[in-house]
Amino acid sequence: MDPDAVAKAFVDHYYSTFDANRAGLANLYQEGSMLTFEGQKIQGSQNIVAKLTSLPFQQCKHNITTVDCQPSGAGGVLVFVSGTLQLAGEQHALKFSQMFHLMPTPQGSFYVLNDIFRLNYA
Amino acid sequence: MLTFEGQKIQGVEDITAKLTSLPFDKCRHVISTINSQPSTLTGGIVVFVSGSLQLPEEEHHLRYSQMFHLVSTLEGNFFVQNDIFRLNYG
Repeated sequence: MDPDAVAKAFVDHYYSTFDANRAGLANLYQEGSMLTFEGQKIQGSQNIVAKLTSLPFQQCKHNITTVDCQPSGAGGVLVFVSGTLQLAGEQHALKFSQMFHLMPTPQGSFYVLNDIFRLNYA
Repeated sequence: MLTFEGQKIQGVEDITAKLTSLPFDKCRHVISTINSQPSTLTGGIVVFVSGSLQLPEEEHHLRYSQMFHLVSTLEGNFFVQNDIFRLNYG
């Protein structure tokens, strides 16, 4: 398992799915998955997708600036992302940082166990 | 493991050597946010920090984000198994 390859594939898939159809993120999370979104703690795939699909914008585009990753032991991969988030109709892009802890599935792919998202204000 | 602004370093000695060789004598971290979650399958904790780093004689603070994956030791403490640091520019 090459953590860099896993991280790159995951980041590409996650943000393109987020930008096209947030409901499609459901199969990247499981019951034990946790999201902390700007300090709010949410657990489980259903609740996480409910939160993400209810965010107050229709369209957005993530532009990724940096991706760092490390193996976390037990076959997991930690991924640390920074970038900008452009909302339709907003003049200025928002800067964000996000970390994921990915764990392997029996089918040979990965799901998100831990997810923490923060906007980076000026 | 430490990834410091994209540079990968492994092991206590090499990590300490990197941190002590950073090009400043004094600095002060001011923490803005801390978020953490249990990493249930590794028995550890993931910690996500954002804040600013003030270097003496520099007028403007540097903003940064950093994540740690803490894993418990046999003695009941935690050590840093994973550490990723990034400055937040712009």
